[in-house]
Amino acid sequence: MPVSTAAGLLVATVREVSARAPAVVAAAARELAGITLGLHFGDGSHALLRAEHSRLFAVAERAPHPDVEVYFDDRALHLLFDFDRRPVDQLAEGSLDVRGERPQVLAVWRTFQLLSQRASGLRSVQLLWRAYREQRADLWSLPPAAPPAAAVPPWGRTAWRALEYLDHRHPEDLDGEGAFGGTIISRARSLWDGGRSEAWWTGGALKDSDLLETMNACRARTRQEIARMIPDREPRAELYHLMREYPSREGKGLRPTLTMAACAAFGGPTEAAVRTAAAIELFHNGFLVHDDISDESTHRRSLPTLHEAHGVGLAVNTGDALNLMAIDGILSNLPTLGLARTLALIHEVMHMCRETVEGQAIELGWIRRYEVPARDEDYFRMSTKKTGWYTCISPCRMGAVCAGVTSPEILDRFNEVFRLIGIAFQIQDDVLNLIGEESLYGKERLGDLLEGKRTIMMIHLFRTASPALRSEMEKLIRKPRAEKSPEDAERIFEAMQETGSIEYAIRLADQLAHEGVRRFEQDLDFIPESAAKGVLRQIANYVTTRAL
Amino acid sequence: MPAALELPATQSPAAPRLGPQGPFPSAPLSDLLERRWLHYAFLTRDGEFGMVANAAWLGAGSSNRQRPFSTCILLVHRRNCGWAASQFNARASEPLWSCFRQPYGLYEPRPLLLRAASGDPGVELMLARTSRPCTNQCAAFAGDHFFRWQSEPGILAQGHWTFRGRTWTDQQAVGYHERVRGRWGWPELGGWVFGFANDTAATTQPAPAHALVFTLIQPDSPPGAATGSVMVWRSGRLVRHFPRRRVSVAVRGLLDRNRVAQVPGLANLLGVAPMAPVPSRLAVCAAMGGDFVALDFACESAARIVIPNETGLAPFSVHEVIGPAEVEGRISGRDFHFATRGIVEFAGGARAG
Repeated sequence: MPVSTAAGLLVATVREVSARAPAVVAAAARELAGITLGLHFGDGSHALLRAEHSRLFAVAERAPHPDVEVYFDDRALHLLFDFDRRPVDQLAEGSLDVRGERPQVLAVWRTFQLLSQRASGLRSVQLLWRAYREQRADLWSLPPAAPPAAAVPPWGRTAWRALEYLDHRHPEDLDGEGAFGGTIISRARSLWDGGRSEAWWTGGALKDSDLLETMNACRARTRQEIARMIPDREPRAELYHLMREYPSREGKGLRPTLTMAACAAFGGPTEAAVRTAAAIELFHNGFLVHDDISDESTHRRSLPTLHEAHGVGLAVNTGDALNLMAIDGILSNLPTLGLARTLALIHEVMHMCRETVEGQAIELGWIRRYEVPARDEDYFRMSTKKTGWYTCISPCRMGAVCAGVTSPEILDRFNEVFRLIGIAFQIQDDVLNLIGEESLYGKERLGDLLEGKRTIMMIHLFRTASPALRSEMEKLIRKPRAEKSPEDAERIFEAMQETGSIEYAIRLADQLAHEGVRRFEQDLDFIPESAAKGVLRQIANYVTTRAL
Repeated sequence: MPAALELPATQSPAAPRLGPQGPFPSAPLSDLLERRWLHYAFLTRDGEFGMVANAAWLGAGSSNRQRPFSTCILLVHRRNCGWAASQFNARASEPLWSCFRQPYGLYEPRPLLLRAASGDPGVELMLARTSRPCTNQCAAFAGDHFFRWQSEPGILAQGHWTFRGRTWTDQQAVGYHERVRGRWGWPELGGWVFGFANDTAATTQPAPAHALVFTLIQPDSPPGAATGSVMVWRSGRLVRHFPRRRVSVAVRGLLDRNRVAQVPGLANLLGVAPMAPVPSRLAVCAAMGGDFVALDFACESAARIVIPNETGLAPFSVHEVIGPAEVEGRISGRDFHFATRGIVEFAGGARAG
């Protein structure tokens, strides 16, 4: 819905950027840290902007005690995100005012700089601002920003320079395509101006990407490939329909995006990684089907689990078939990727599966022995094995293999970065199961507590609880799932709140994610900047900016 | 039949010397980095097919080879279907068609046959000249490296095209031919952006109403060695040459890597290092006095030819890019404008290693 006030526009922009460009938000939040910014606009609306951890919060209301206050008239406001007009032509006297302590004012301007220079490149942000501009055309006394294509420039046709010619003929390329690079508006650049040369193969690299759009594109392409891989024959109702239906349930598309982005970051075409991304998704779904049976889960992605809907026997068989089809998918890379890369992919798959089943075994062992590990490190190890490898590390490594990278030294550079990101992500998922909305999370609320899942909150609770509370909790987690009531789960949840376990988990996830982001820049600095590397960076930052 | 192309007759000491000799007459290719090539690029009038072929000779140098090393590659592109390419051992008819080596008259049909060793892709064409060739670059760079680049646009072609198991007969095409000769290493050369566009709409005369060829050569040294030019032909006659200071070139965006095929197939097997993505849009402008010309080219599909580098590990890459082009301008007071399909090359990358 189009926004009608400047404050509304700011709130919508922050919301868009938070969803689509977490790396930009995280960088802006670092600049704004601790400052409450009050914004006043020429149309009489007000907004408040502040940062918390790596997240930005904007609300359309007057800030009661702002550290810095900024006034924008409508024209000055547009300087921030307007690709159509040059700021020097726009700024008029009295259109902008700033009040506050000097260091804080400078921090605010650095925040604006990040938001305007990096986030304004997002097509979706440009479309948002264009819609606002068109709606508030009455505030504008200037002629339309984009002259019609091929119109004669004021300086005469004979004086065309290629740079201006491109900008003039194609002022905004908002109709981009392709998952990588197509989501960002790129400026034209000069290769030759009659005296100075810039090589076409250097510079011009895009550092950011629209994560949301990229994930949607990667997920859709992978789903299409999965549909192609699963045969359309009998037995449909008992097998192939179930195999098709389960992966089509709504997921985030994290694994396909990582696989395709890693491939593209190493210079490969994303199409080379599609088959592998589809295979990883099939493995993932096969693991989930079996995992749901082990955990006695009732819901997955807002729908009944497969064994709940169709019985354990069919679910086990479908899980087996999904894993088998995934192996088939990896092998089918042979004609397109060649023997060396396919063998390397098989090696990666074997490792991934081994880690996953080991992780699952560790957790099931804890549950079977009614054991709650004492140290966070035990959880880190289990979580990395159970989900970290197949969710984060292996998709990156396998994407790189698809691009032709088979050197273990290079592939290992992904491990620590995405181990940290993976753990943080898993902790956040576990937190969301406790405090998130069921409709958004897709699993029954407190389902992890009913299953007796050993989360970081559970470990913290048992580590910090008084002997009496600990004894009470031990009794509750020893109950089989069928005997656990919602009240039991609520009691464990209350205890976690009492001991601060949820806050602890949120803080821990934040620390791990920040360390992951730091390692991303350090360990992966050898990968040249590109839109695809931008996607990997956005995913690394996604964990730090995810709404909890 | 040998895998590599046989030397053309004019290289043999016994062969008669034919045609204009130019500043590099029959000199043997002796140095390792001495090289020359003959380049062909055609687009069918209906825009369905495009082809690019390059026959290259490299000097024997101090190796035991007694004769220059020769390669030939053929690429055929079909709209919405992608590229088919030979390895570096495409077969070619002898002598290879070239107005720079044979005294072919205007509008005189002569054959050019090129095909992969497997026979697919392949072209069997009768070529006819309509325009006057000329030299568009004479560049010296990096000490003792140099080359001369000669171009001829507006060549008419009629014949058969074989692409992925099917042959299309009697296809009408218009294209471009060039000869390049010199001595250079790929890292020293840096890279280039080159392209052409023929106005294929007019049918009242054999020659395109207008044709445009541009080059931008980008060596690193000495400072200022980079150079460019734009040339415009009208009805087969070269009517304007815009020199380097009057030319500007700009790009925007990046072509989706899924639209870039890597050839020859052997390069994929060897797992060569990736190359920077090519831009998705190109503008070339030139102006001098009251004359000007502007080319607006949208990259649609590209083939990256991976060329081994004789002096380093990083290969040299030539991206052959096909796409729609629009040209507008004014020469000697006459305005012109045409929309067509063109071929542009983005070449470089050996310096990275």
